[in-house]
Amino acid sequence: MASIEGAGSSSLPAFPKGNAFRRRARRELGVGYMFTLPSVLLLFLFTLGPALYSLYLSFFSWSLLNHMHFVGWQNFVQLFQMPLFWISVRNSVVFALVVVPTQTVVALLLAAILNQNLPARGFFRLAFFFPAVSSSAVISIIFMWIYNKFGLLNGFLSVFGIVGPDWLGNPSFALSSIMLLNIWTTSGYFMVVFLAGLQAIPAEMYEAAAIDGAGRWRSFSRITVPLLSPSTFFIVVMGIVGTLQMFDQSFIMSQGTGGPLNSTTTIVLLIYQFIFSYGQVGYGAAATVLLFLLILLATLATNWWFKRKLDYL
Amino acid sequence: MVGARKTFSYRLVRVIYLLILTVGALAMLIPFAWSLSTSLKPLGESMAYPPVWWPHPFDWSNFTVIWTMVPLARWFLNSAIVAVSVTIGNLIIDSLAGYALARIPFRGRNVLHLGIVSMLMIPFQSVMLPVYILLRWLGLLDNYGGMIVPVLVSAMGVFLMRQAFLTVPQELEDAAMIDGAGRLRMFWQISLPMVTPSLMTLALMIFMGSWNNFLLPLLVANRSHLWTVPLGIVMFQQEYFVNWPYLMAGSVLATLPIAILFLVFQRFFVRGVTTTGLK
Repeated sequence: MASIEGAGSSSLPAFPKGNAFRRRARRELGVGYMFTLPSVLLLFLFTLGPALYSLYLSFFSWSLLNHMHFVGWQNFVQLFQMPLFWISVRNSVVFALVVVPTQTVVALLLAAILNQNLPARGFFRLAFFFPAVSSSAVISIIFMWIYNKFGLLNGFLSVFGIVGPDWLGNPSFALSSIMLLNIWTTSGYFMVVFLAGLQAIPAEMYEAAAIDGAGRWRSFSRITVPLLSPSTFFIVVMGIVGTLQMFDQSFIMSQGTGGPLNSTTTIVLLIYQFIFSYGQVGYGAAATVLLFLLILLATLATNWWFKRKLDYL
Repeated sequence: MVGARKTFSYRLVRVIYLLILTVGALAMLIPFAWSLSTSLKPLGESMAYPPVWWPHPFDWSNFTVIWTMVPLARWFLNSAIVAVSVTIGNLIIDSLAGYALARIPFRGRNVLHLGIVSMLMIPFQSVMLPVYILLRWLGLLDNYGGMIVPVLVSAMGVFLMRQAFLTVPQELEDAAMIDGAGRLRMFWQISLPMVTPSLMTLALMIFMGSWNNFLLPLLVANRSHLWTVPLGIVMFQQEYFVNWPYLMAGSVLATLPIAILFLVFQRFFVRGVTTTGLK
């Protein structure tokens, strides 16, 4: 550190600045593009380009093996008439509607508690965060074992005299089981995001509120929650984007079928099946486009809702 | 009098808080503990109902059996090759772009920055279909390239590195500039060493993401000798049979590298989340 500072102060005044800098600025233009070129190229090739390409493909009929031919809006029309498509939309939307609020609230409460001056905070943060860094595939397999008819969860419930179902084999419980798994994985992760937000709230605000006679709940609801809304907004948007494209858990726990009785077929799982099971690239592309629209609408709605709430403050 | 009551309620609240946290932490750790416990049981004992927590005696054979039954060593090698390549690529590509966006004034920089950040709204799952077709067309199916090239850059990583380079004092670069250093040298010799903690964070997050990636290997790798650990374990579960002690032994082995990295470098992971808020 000392040597770097030394270098800075010793050489600064020696040169006439203006000209050299202007000449450099012209050269910089190219350098700037060169430095960003690999990123831009790769992001175009594997993110933006594919998004546009799926829009193009959604107007064609293609099985990957035959010749493509243009079918106009037919893929969309077919998709809208397909019960399985609506089932997948419902599953994904219900999944998001349950998981996003729950994980956000759990994360917020955990963060608010963990932000108190309690012993073993480091340990708790570690424990809550750990599921988020583990592999979704491995976690899914561990939970398949826990959710087994004769698994740990039902063993635990039997202590209270409850006979648990075959969680993943029963269409009424399969999606809920995956929801629980998802909340379990992501809550601790978002808790860390909230913790960072909490640490930015000045302690004086709480002290002032305490002097004014505000209790714990009041300072939480009147100070913590409103001041955290930028973090909350971010977490909700990321939650929506994440849950609407849930794939790994559904795929693994239903062995790729979306079963039982399509109860765990999400939109992305259906897209996967359109390519690899049905050979219907056009349908898959149309579903991709509709998924983008759904995510966009959900994000805009969230944005609008948060903006409106912030205006009141 | 009032003070005494206050301390009592204060203590009570603290106890309740600690209780909530303890229950939560147990809920987080029990699945992992259970997979470890199952991995050490013979098949018969693993099926005991109600479940038995403590295996007796410890049966290590599940680990040695799966090691020879499936090419687990090969899967680990594949995961390592892919994750290390992806990490190195991201360290170079993300920090170059992050540096340019933070430090080099050039026309269109703000648009580019906005464009790159907005790519965060298009996660990989949603473009799986066109990416698969593209990889097929590029001849990147069934080889390492297909598992590496699409994730060589991460919009999150560019964002993280840009934030890091913004904190490097301008004076240091001015000095080097006057000494006649080119941009590449300024980047490499002056700014990059100043952001080592961010590089570390980026490396860990990318490595973890790649190690855990399931969908991309699922799309790319058809032949079992190219499978990565997560894909291999899932395929093992789906195509062979349901022998939970074997599967849990595999799960324990698959989790181990990330668990060790996480325990050793926890603060970098937390830093990554708090500066980007993203995986």
